[in-house]
Amino acid sequence: MNSDLSPATDSIQRRQFIKATAMAAATAVAGGSNFTLPVLADDSVFLADEPASKVQWEKAPCRFCGTGCHVQVGVQSGKVVAVAGDKNAEVNKGLLCVKGYHVGAALYGKDRLTKPLLREGDVYREISWEEAIKTIADRIEAAPERFAFYGSGQWTIPEGYAAQKFMKGGLANNHIDPNARLCMASAVTGFLATYGVDEPAGCYKDLDECDVLIMWGNNPAEMHPVLFSRVLDRRSRGENVTLIDIGTRRTRTTEACQHYLEMKGHGDLAIANGIAYLLVKNGTYNSKFVESFCNFKAPNDENPNLHGKAISFEQYQALLEPYTPEHVEELSGVPADKIRLLADLFGNPDLKITSLWCMGMNQHTRGTAINSMVHGVHLLSGHFGTPGNAPTSLTGQPSACGTVREVGTLAHALPGGRVVTDAVHRQQSEEFWNVPVGRINPNPGYHAVQMWESFCTPTAQGGDIGTIWVQVTNPGQTLPNLNKLFNPKGDDKAGLEDKFLIVSEVYPTATTRLADLILPSAMWVEKNGVVGNSERRTQQWFKMVEPPGEARDDCWQTIAVAHALFERGLQGMKDQADQFLFEVKGTDDQPVPVWEWDHYYDVNVDEHLFEEYRQFTRLKHKDLAPYSEYVKARGLRWPVVEKEGVWQETQFRFAEGFDPYVEAGKEIQFYHSSTHDDRAQIWFHPWIAPAEVPDDEYPFMLCTGRVLEHWHTGTMTRRIPELSRAMPGGYLEIHADDAAQYGLRNGDTARVESRRGSLELPVWIDGRAQSPRGTVFIPFFDETLLVNDLTLDAVDPFSKQPDYKKSAVRIRKV
Amino acid sequence: MSSDIKSKTTPLIAFVIVSFAIAGYFTGLQAPMKASSTESSLIVHGTENGRSGMTEAGVIPATHYANMSQATLSNRQQVQLTTFKSTVDPLAEIIIKPEDKLAALLKREQNRAFNGAPPTIPHPIDQRTDASCVACHTHGAKTASLRIPKMSHHFLANCTQCHIEKNSQQFTPVVFRESDFNGLQAPTSGPRAFQGAPPQIPHSTWMRTDCMSCHGETGQYGIRTTHPWRSNCQQCHAPSATMDQSLLATQPQFLPGPLIKDVDPVIKE
Repeated sequence: MNSDLSPATDSIQRRQFIKATAMAAATAVAGGSNFTLPVLADDSVFLADEPASKVQWEKAPCRFCGTGCHVQVGVQSGKVVAVAGDKNAEVNKGLLCVKGYHVGAALYGKDRLTKPLLREGDVYREISWEEAIKTIADRIEAAPERFAFYGSGQWTIPEGYAAQKFMKGGLANNHIDPNARLCMASAVTGFLATYGVDEPAGCYKDLDECDVLIMWGNNPAEMHPVLFSRVLDRRSRGENVTLIDIGTRRTRTTEACQHYLEMKGHGDLAIANGIAYLLVKNGTYNSKFVESFCNFKAPNDENPNLHGKAISFEQYQALLEPYTPEHVEELSGVPADKIRLLADLFGNPDLKITSLWCMGMNQHTRGTAINSMVHGVHLLSGHFGTPGNAPTSLTGQPSACGTVREVGTLAHALPGGRVVTDAVHRQQSEEFWNVPVGRINPNPGYHAVQMWESFCTPTAQGGDIGTIWVQVTNPGQTLPNLNKLFNPKGDDKAGLEDKFLIVSEVYPTATTRLADLILPSAMWVEKNGVVGNSERRTQQWFKMVEPPGEARDDCWQTIAVAHALFERGLQGMKDQADQFLFEVKGTDDQPVPVWEWDHYYDVNVDEHLFEEYRQFTRLKHKDLAPYSEYVKARGLRWPVVEKEGVWQETQFRFAEGFDPYVEAGKEIQFYHSSTHDDRAQIWFHPWIAPAEVPDDEYPFMLCTGRVLEHWHTGTMTRRIPELSRAMPGGYLEIHADDAAQYGLRNGDTARVESRRGSLELPVWIDGRAQSPRGTVFIPFFDETLLVNDLTLDAVDPFSKQPDYKKSAVRIRKV
Repeated sequence: MSSDIKSKTTPLIAFVIVSFAIAGYFTGLQAPMKASSTESSLIVHGTENGRSGMTEAGVIPATHYANMSQATLSNRQQVQLTTFKSTVDPLAEIIIKPEDKLAALLKREQNRAFNGAPPTIPHPIDQRTDASCVACHTHGAKTASLRIPKMSHHFLANCTQCHIEKNSQQFTPVVFRESDFNGLQAPTSGPRAFQGAPPQIPHSTWMRTDCMSCHGETGQYGIRTTHPWRSNCQQCHAPSATMDQSLLATQPQFLPGPLIKDVDPVIKE
């Protein structure tokens, strides 16, 4: 019976002979297909040479969202072959989501771009890199002020920093803005208006500590699954966590929540006011916290600006007066009792409450307002500054925080939280860059929507942007109202013949389809990188595999163009010592010609740029450690401060005992307060209707968003077979009763029309989520079904971020 | 004398009972199973008087609802124990056939991007909750036509975070753009320290802590254990330190320049 025990030796030999014969037969059969497993090692081969042992594992942050999971990348024979969650990473503790597990395959789509391509009429001609760099340099040299750089929250920190320095420190041109303008600009203005300085004070540890987790228009079960299941798993272990979903549609997140508060678009503004009203009315707000650490603010209607006007607590109370639970119910659609439930939770000082939000509150024409108000509810109730008590905004891109918000690749910003309009900030930046005083232009450049509007307007009619260079993003799919902001570029009659679009990409996309020059880029572990995630964590990785063909680093592309301009004698590309702006010295203290691809990796350009950038980070106390510290760590949360020879990260900002910059005895100190008194601002903002609301002609509210399987525009995830097969294309999510009214059934084709465009796509009733009556949802990942042909381009007045969640549409069966 | 008889019959009775128990156990173990397949269609047993023509061993055929009224005690599908009888000898030696192993590994490859990737789901799912996943996969099961693997890891509450449908059930599953990704293949065997030594586990055990999920009774032939009565796997089969990945084998390093030059022939010229 014990067949696994070793029988007599001759028996073993006989069995092995039989096995070997059978194996040979099996291998022969298998050889007919594409199946090429190595030959089975039989028992006589001791210590068999394991194929798995040849895999080299290295650490890197995931390429996709802003969670910032660390993965281990398995490399075999120069290719990525496997990915595993990194058990040493505090962010994900060894787990990943389905996108993360398959991130390695994103490198190997068959249609990778491998050569620079120049458009000639309707065809593209393969050109050399020398010609490509020359073409860009020609365009810029001819009209430096008409050049714009459109970047991304997927730029690594060194890439973004190089582009920033090239534009603002070199060309004295502030027309540089990122796709993150479409993604988290309102989160930034919310933080600035409230705390005077950007980025969340809490961290993911709050998810382990909170008693109540409130998700404001957020579906982390699909979009930040690693963070969401971190909370769910606590519940599986028997801990008591209350999950509350405030949203406009029933999602996977809703199913896991104890409470679902279904609201109408912009209902969040009323709900936040309703909570504040009850806290004040019931006297359950935290008066000690408010008196010690807070001021009150309201919008300044005469002179609208980010810092509004100061008001007293009594004025605040009076402004809240109309927002009774019943009135809030009218405005938001959420029952008054549920508003009381929220107010009771916030009014209970024994509970630890964490709020999460992402696109629902950011892609909002009152985005700055609602961001400030959710901070306000936490401050008013004192649910702030201790583990588990935090208002935390999540980001959708791996370095929206690290590159866009910290390096400041925005039209108005300079590195380290500085702004171009501030003379002191300009002077500090000029000093760090060693460029002449006055080099930096004091006027903010065009923000994303303005930039593309100007690009798509004929020069004669004032469209003063002539050339845009796009890196690491896909505006041809993600800009709102594409028929106004992007598509005219492809229209022969639009009068845009003189406009020139340069796109650095890894795959053909909705953007490259209209590009005049396409540059093949290296991606993820084909290059070095440093990124910063949603919880202030800066993470580093090294290049592990070679990019295909002639694909090259985006950062190199920027430096190569800068050097071409330097050689032509463009003054801006020189510093005060007449040296090249991006001069990098080797270990022998001699300049390395990093603008030649051949020599780009002779030194670690990333490290050089990072160390230069690091000087900028002190001003706003977002101190970064030296590059070498990040090589050792699975990311470190800033401020990272050296104490007794050890670089220590900060979990909770502004809180004594955690944040090294809080003075002893202060408990909580908002040391970048906009009112210069160490206090945060509690904002009142009125409820205001969405920019477009359904009417008789366009009776449905259209919401757009993402799905678990695809990341943003799907350029990477749709080339991963597992993900593409599971979620092959876009669809219209509609309520069953609405569908019945239009005679639509699952799989039928519906035509969706807005005032700006139309789209035909299949119907999915009761699918991944349920939209309530009168609302529909379309994901934006499908480049063959561009939902942004329909969306509205109205923006938040302060952040200039568009609202992708509320456009009026009509539907009919096709 | 009578006490003598009693002392002899007790072990005899015990022996008979134990034999039956063991025989029953292995009958269950050896029941042939078809691997899961999306194509498997629902078979409705509509033969005369509810008698099914299906004679799959080890499976109790149910009486069709339509025939419930006519079913008598003697003519009820559930009591036809004859169909239980397995043709497999429960005491037979379990031999791992190389072709079975290859077939099993090939089967595994079909719903994994690489060895270690979370498997995709070969059947329709509830789009919004985990309840139905948990109902079957907490303990695993097997039927005549289905193999339901038990979760290989401890309970995690958000199944679709890692496991997605192999093919969309709602839309035509297409690969939008083709891929050249070649995933890590599964090892075929673990190394042994010497002839006859128990092989080391040739894969990472992270998220694969329940060996029986793949190697137990609901596992595929070819990778099933030859000794299912032994339940403390890691007593003899050591996990691999090199595949543990808790610590990286080498510190991350900056790749020096010459590597780049070699692969860029255009620049070289």
